Amino acid sequence: MAKLKLASYWAAACGGCDTAILDIHEKILDLAAAADIVFWPIALDFKYADVEAMPDGNIDVTLFHGAVRNSENEHLAKLLRAKSKVLVAFGTCAHIGGIPSLANLFNKQSIFKRVYHDSPSTVNSDGVEPQPKTKVPEGEITIPQFYDTVWPLDHIVDVDYYVPGCPPTPKQIWSVVTTIVSGQLPPKGSVVGASEKTQCDECPRQKHEKKITGFKRIATAQPEQETCYLEQGFLCLGPVTRGGCDTRCQLSGVACRGCYGPPPGVLDQGAKAISAIASVIDATDPAEIERIISEIPDPLRSFNRFGIGGSLLVRKAL
Amino acid sequence: MKRISIDPITRLEGHGKIEIFLADDGSVANCYFQVPELRGFEKFVEGMPMEEVPRVVSRICGV
Amino acid sequence: MTSFQPKIIGILCNWCSYTGADLAGTARIKYAPNVRVIRVMCSGRVDPTFVLKAFADGADGVLVAGCHPGDCHYIDGNYKTMRRMALLKKLLADYGIEPNRFRLEWVSASEGDRWAEVVNRITEDVRKLGPAKFRAKAKRRAEVSVA
Repeated sequence: MAKLKLASYWAAACGGCDTAILDIHEKILDLAAAADIVFWPIALDFKYADVEAMPDGNIDVTLFHGAVRNSENEHLAKLLRAKSKVLVAFGTCAHIGGIPSLANLFNKQSIFKRVYHDSPSTVNSDGVEPQPKTKVPEGEITIPQFYDTVWPLDHIVDVDYYVPGCPPTPKQIWSVVTTIVSGQLPPKGSVVGASEKTQCDECPRQKHEKKITGFKRIATAQPEQETCYLEQGFLCLGPVTRGGCDTRCQLSGVACRGCYGPPPGVLDQGAKAISAIASVIDATDPAEIERIISEIPDPLRSFNRFGIGGSLLVRKAL
Repeated sequence: MKRISIDPITRLEGHGKIEIFLADDGSVANCYFQVPELRGFEKFVEGMPMEEVPRVVSRICGV
Repeated sequence: MTSFQPKIIGILCNWCSYTGADLAGTARIKYAPNVRVIRVMCSGRVDPTFVLKAFADGADGVLVAGCHPGDCHYIDGNYKTMRRMALLKKLLADYGIEPNRFRLEWVSASEGDRWAEVVNRITEDVRKLGPAKFRAKAKRRAEVSVA
């Protein structure tokens, strides 16, 4: 059987997804036996020009991670879509915008102002900002255009599968690789490498009846380690987050912040989070309700930490 | 003037490109290293509770 | 110059607010026609997702109406509504949506007049704010114009 052609690319990313792929450890040899990797910037020296020269559909599967933040990310999304038979939105950023999509509460102007002018360690008396084109004595050099909005991959191109997680766990990555190699692919548009239930289904903490009368922060209070976080008043997005990661955060002493994205059937993780959590707040008086919910600082970024780009409204109106 | 583009630079974390301009005799006339990425962490963590920031800024680099 | 006609989505509970709206109709009360009504059995059925989707899909304003606290046909559905909508208002503020674009109101089955007032008030509040501009910045893939 001919070896599969595989590619892995990072857009507005951190390298964590590639590191998670490498964390399959010695199984990388099995991967190399089954597939030729034809584009993988973190590990191999193929260039954009090499991808551009490929015939369309040349790559069997591309794992695209990172969100679309600038014109180069958009160009590569469209290029890899054309050159790939199967395009996978790999990792939370490509799936639902990820941490970079927290920037959707701001815009290019306010981000550039902070980064290039106002940040305490910056000295920029000439007020220089990066420009897409710069004339130099030898000609012209270019960098990508920075967009106001960060987009998940499926807002830019057609996506075949989604692998959630920030990053996806190596165990799940291996199960996705074996599925790909087997050729037994699920229906297009499926989320793979994750459970069909929520975090709560896998979480080992004790669950009792939830009646929240106040919210606590780990900055000022210590959770006990055997009981459900939400019951103790610590915000946990477990009830509205897809399972599959073996509750790695909850087992490490912190509550879930939702990186595996919404459970099946949920369109907006943040909306569902407030719906679920409001259901178990124990108050019927408006003033008391207001007192309790005011104990959650920074609502949008608390109820939707990883998926603002993939939320229904995508960004803050500015 | 001949121009060599190395795009992207590879086998490290992050995006980068290098433009090399060669004079007629083949020597390097000039060389530019460019960083074509920015995500803006220093801006978008503004206003977050401080105990939430570590789990966000760990995503600056996953390596 | 024609004045801007807001498109407002109203999600009304069957037992109280929808019946109250019906009463406004049978009593021939004249009021602004800008609210498109969706009937649900209880305001507790209103998932905050519905409100966000309405805004994302083109609404200039959204109105959720239910029974007065204590009068819910399903006993405590509207208390859940109260808590959900209180949190939703904070989320909407973080998304940059002006507070007057979203209202939660209690309208009983006998309050035809009140229904008319509620509709007139939200219509005028949204008219003053103008068309929702945030949509232009968040287009879906079909018409992606990344800026």
